[in-house]
Amino acid sequence: MNQAAAPGQAAISRQRGPAEPKQRPLDSGIFVRLFGYTRPYAALRNVLAGLALTRSVQLPVLAWILGEVIGGPISNRQPDALFWGVLGFLAFSVFVEVTFYFRSRLALQLGESVVHDLRAECFAHLHRMPMSFFHRTKLGTIISRLTSDIEALRTGVQNVLFISIVQLGQGIVSAIIMCWIDWALFLIVLAMAPGLYIMTDIFRHRLSKASRDVQESFSRVTASLAEAVNGIRVTQGFAREEVNAGLFRQLIQDHSRYNINMARASALYLPILDLNTQFFTGALLVIGAYRVLSPEIAMPLEDLIQFLFLAALFFQPVQVLGQQYNVALQAMAGAERVFRFLDTKPDWEDDPAAREVKLTTGQVEFRGVNFSYDGETPVLRDLSFTAPPGTTTALVGETGSGKSTILALVSKFYLPGGGELLFDGIPVEKITTQSLHRHLGVVQQQNFLFTGSVYDNIRFGRPEATEAEVWDCLDQLGCKDLIEQLPQSLATIVGEKGTGVSLGQRQLICFARALLPDPKFILLDEATSSIDAITELRLQNAMTMLLSGRTSFVVAHRLSTIRRADQILLLSHGRLVESGDHRSLLERNGDYAKLYRQFTDAAESVKNEL
Amino acid sequence: MSSTPDQQLQSADLSNGRVVARLLGLCWRYPSQCLVILGLQVLLLTMGMLGILYTGVGVDVIGSAADAERESPRWPGGLAPPADWDTMSVVWLLAGFILLLALVRSYSNYLYNMRLARFAQDRIVAPLRSEIYEKLQRLSFRFFDQNASGSIINRVTGDVLMINLFMSQVMMQSIIMVVSLVIYIAIMATIHLPLTLACLATTPVMMGISIWFSARVRPLMTANRKTVDQLILNLSESIQGVHVIKSFGREPDIRDKFQGLNRRIRQEMRRIFAYVAFLSPSTSLLSEINLAVLLAYGGYLVFIGEISIGAGVVVFAGLLQQYAQQVSALSMIANLIQQSMVSARRVFEILDAPVEIVSDQQAERGHVFKGEVEFERVSFDFEGGATEPRARAIHDLSFKVKPGQVVALLGPLGSGKSTLMSLIPRFYDPTEGRVKLDGVDLRELALSEVRQNIGLVFQENFLFSMTVAQNIAFGHPGASREQIERAATIAAAHDFVMELPQGYDTIINESGVNLSGGQRQRLAIARAILRDPAILLMDDPTAAVDAETEHEILEALEGAIKGRTVFIASHKLSALVQADIILVLNRGRIMQVGSHRSLREQGGYYKAVAEVQLYDDDNLDLAGALAEAERASRAPEEAP
Repeated sequence: MNQAAAPGQAAISRQRGPAEPKQRPLDSGIFVRLFGYTRPYAALRNVLAGLALTRSVQLPVLAWILGEVIGGPISNRQPDALFWGVLGFLAFSVFVEVTFYFRSRLALQLGESVVHDLRAECFAHLHRMPMSFFHRTKLGTIISRLTSDIEALRTGVQNVLFISIVQLGQGIVSAIIMCWIDWALFLIVLAMAPGLYIMTDIFRHRLSKASRDVQESFSRVTASLAEAVNGIRVTQGFAREEVNAGLFRQLIQDHSRYNINMARASALYLPILDLNTQFFTGALLVIGAYRVLSPEIAMPLEDLIQFLFLAALFFQPVQVLGQQYNVALQAMAGAERVFRFLDTKPDWEDDPAAREVKLTTGQVEFRGVNFSYDGETPVLRDLSFTAPPGTTTALVGETGSGKSTILALVSKFYLPGGGELLFDGIPVEKITTQSLHRHLGVVQQQNFLFTGSVYDNIRFGRPEATEAEVWDCLDQLGCKDLIEQLPQSLATIVGEKGTGVSLGQRQLICFARALLPDPKFILLDEATSSIDAITELRLQNAMTMLLSGRTSFVVAHRLSTIRRADQILLLSHGRLVESGDHRSLLERNGDYAKLYRQFTDAAESVKNEL
Repeated sequence: MSSTPDQQLQSADLSNGRVVARLLGLCWRYPSQCLVILGLQVLLLTMGMLGILYTGVGVDVIGSAADAERESPRWPGGLAPPADWDTMSVVWLLAGFILLLALVRSYSNYLYNMRLARFAQDRIVAPLRSEIYEKLQRLSFRFFDQNASGSIINRVTGDVLMINLFMSQVMMQSIIMVVSLVIYIAIMATIHLPLTLACLATTPVMMGISIWFSARVRPLMTANRKTVDQLILNLSESIQGVHVIKSFGREPDIRDKFQGLNRRIRQEMRRIFAYVAFLSPSTSLLSEINLAVLLAYGGYLVFIGEISIGAGVVVFAGLLQQYAQQVSALSMIANLIQQSMVSARRVFEILDAPVEIVSDQQAERGHVFKGEVEFERVSFDFEGGATEPRARAIHDLSFKVKPGQVVALLGPLGSGKSTLMSLIPRFYDPTEGRVKLDGVDLRELALSEVRQNIGLVFQENFLFSMTVAQNIAFGHPGASREQIERAATIAAAHDFVMELPQGYDTIINESGVNLSGGQRQRLAIARAILRDPAILLMDDPTAAVDAETEHEILEALEGAIKGRTVFIASHKLSALVQADIILVLNRGRIMQVGSHRSLREQGGYYKAVAEVQLYDDDNLDLAGALAEAERASRAPEEAP
């Protein structure tokens, strides 16, 4: 019976949807496509490859010079040769570091250029998508395509290839130099490489698994924290602080444990790597001693010194390439997601036969229209009606009855699934979206405003409008003073999510935004949020002004709006139940009349008392 | 509730020194663990150095055996093997010793890393996060009014991580650097002091470059970060407002704006790259100059027989390379210090934020509240008492409500309805005057007891991602299923809950998206009445819903308010007519008090509001009602 004993546990054990994979196997298709993005910068890319190759030779040569100087002039006490040797070493160092500078700088530039192009392409693609895409894709997902995924890809472009070239080349060149000095000793060095490789491989896997665990537990911590902060009023109001703190402590301890596991993996790996190097040094000393001291071989001491320097350069690539391989896998995962997004075809695009249309009459007709968002659940069924020019049509019905869908279809955010939608007798498919939208004024329920000035927000549909025109438009709505009250009047800045202006002002700005381009049609989803009665009355008046003389569709929540409409469509489960004006529908005494009486019950009782 | 963004948290002006001292203090709570970790690090460095040293000796041993002209090797500390050993035995001994050193070193390296990770996680990060979290839960609403939730979350996650980085990277790395500097110099100095000084001459230059670099690049990075933030804001707004963009056909302009920012980022990045790419090459060049000095000067010293090749030059070369690695970490440290200072400040801000609402520790518990609420000359303002009376959210308010009465609050936006209600569960304390529950000042009662006896329904109710049952039992996790179902039944929620796929065990989505507004509100009402509270506060429960849903909620309310003292803020006449007392508020003062009947006769704001809501009656004079309402709302301004 005590099933509610541990709230929050469910939330803790539950994953927040399937996590996106952080890595992906190498895929030549993705690689080729990604490589294609460097084509506009081919010169840059080729110079970079050249620099990387140069650098791969430079590093072993520098070590060789060092060994030569110690083993040669210094050990043989030749001051002149030492002077030239040191000078040569210095000069070569400068050459090496200048190369290094340009290699890193150009690589960063190449990465940024590719990222820049991809961001631009993704954004352009995003806004070619029809509304259905935004309907089914989460905001966070789209944003991570353009941020974290593209970032993962950047490291791939700027590092993996070029660092791999440098490292591989460095390994090969130092191997060649070692071979040339003493091939037998080199073979011994070579024998150590596989062990090192296998170890690196094992630990890399452990490490990446451990870091995945850490990331997952971290996202649980963040999720629980986000809820705690967003629901703080409820938590404090219900005095549940202690319970929550206990649950959170548990999560945090879990997270610590994963972190320590990850630390263990790397704490083992690095020392073993180090041990390997030391083991190699010991072995080199013993074997080197035999070869120097044995009269048959009599290897010069200088060669032993050379080996000590060069072997480090030979082993370095084994570790670095392992790291780069991991980076490459992450870049692949990012690239794959970005490309999948770019490959998403819009569900529909304008018919090539569609043309620019000037709608002079302003009549809308639904002829047997069917519609479904997901292709399965019908939202509108066989809907037919006509909205005559200059009239207001109120859409009434329970949540999910299809009211907003009708607005979305008239906005051409979606195309009808069946039947015909006609503007002035022209099927919607034959009108370009752009030219249709020039005739529309839309007011959404959420009253979304962009960050920026009130002025810019009102001019959103007609950026070239003058300040006088904007004031004139507000005057028409009879609400000039509501904007004048703002601290900087029209220049007041609207913050994120519409902060800085009141709810009533926000709605008014949306009305003005819709009215300013003087549209033929108005599509209005009445806001439900509560504003004080007086402001609301003024907005109702403004709405009347906005609608007058235009063909308009209103998803109505207020009785007064419904009552004043020329035509009321009562919808239920996507079907038209009744239609007509308020008076005739009341006379019919059907569903609308029943609904109306229900709405007004409370008001009626008050009215009677008054 | 209004917010006052000007009010800053106090710790923002902690000096850098104080912040560092506090951070060190966090570690030093466990001195023995700190010392063990430091000791291990010293051990590690010393052993690493010995390994290089004996490799050099090995080279000399082989060299002198192969070439009789060379001098015999010098053994550090005079610890030479017996003179009668042959060369190979000595080499074996050295190799064995190097390996032994490496083994010990590896093991202690492992120990060091594990100790450090455990210390950081168990002693610093986890306790700090818990501490912040617990603190957060006790902070007053004022704090949450003033800080965006994203920034608060970031403090517990990202900023604490930065503090951890400060501990494990900045602090350890600085100590390692100082210690290794000492050890390197000590060892090199025992070989040859002047050579040591000559080789390290570039160190100040290296440090200078690192510092110059971070000073140069940081402002550029900050500027770039801002542009990137702007780009992301632009992107996310273009998605959230996609319907507006599409319906006005503004896609091309939005694209241009994004492109502009995108291009600006690329330009800024190019400048940054020019610096970033400079750092590594310049520090490696300096370490190569060090090597060149070693070759020239060291070579000369070999000529005059002051040092040997192996234990001298080869060892020096090895040490210098290690040394360069340490120094190159400097720029990382310089960057991290800045970032972790900012983070530490943000974390300390939360830890230092005053808990405004403190429960009286001596308060008696176990009260059974009747539900009498009294406001005694209560004033309140969000800034905390500094402002003039006119700016107050609540001004000198007095009234008394008997148990079981229903009080409706009416007034324009910002008139103080929500503020008045949030004083009752002590979300804020009044600036002046007293709020009493059953005749006792709230501040003399146990806070949790007060809140457990008050049921709350907000405008938009936050449901947690738990099951329906767990959400209803949110304030009382031990509630039985029967209690939960009873509460749901009263709130007219039982029927729709039973229709959910798993009934009461259905898990509610992230933001409760699988429930309608009316359903969410009814669950919130069930949650509020589960404990059968004496007082029920409802802040415009029908605000965010349409007419049909409003009807559903009012139905749920009817059952919920029985036998309780109820405060309900609403504009809806349907809610107002049920009240025993109606308080009409404007600018924090009571304008009118009375029942529906008496207020209607009084006229003024109430009558105007009532008529506005009924104005679909054709014979009502719209303009007249509007004018009347305007006059009524201005009244207190004209007659102070």
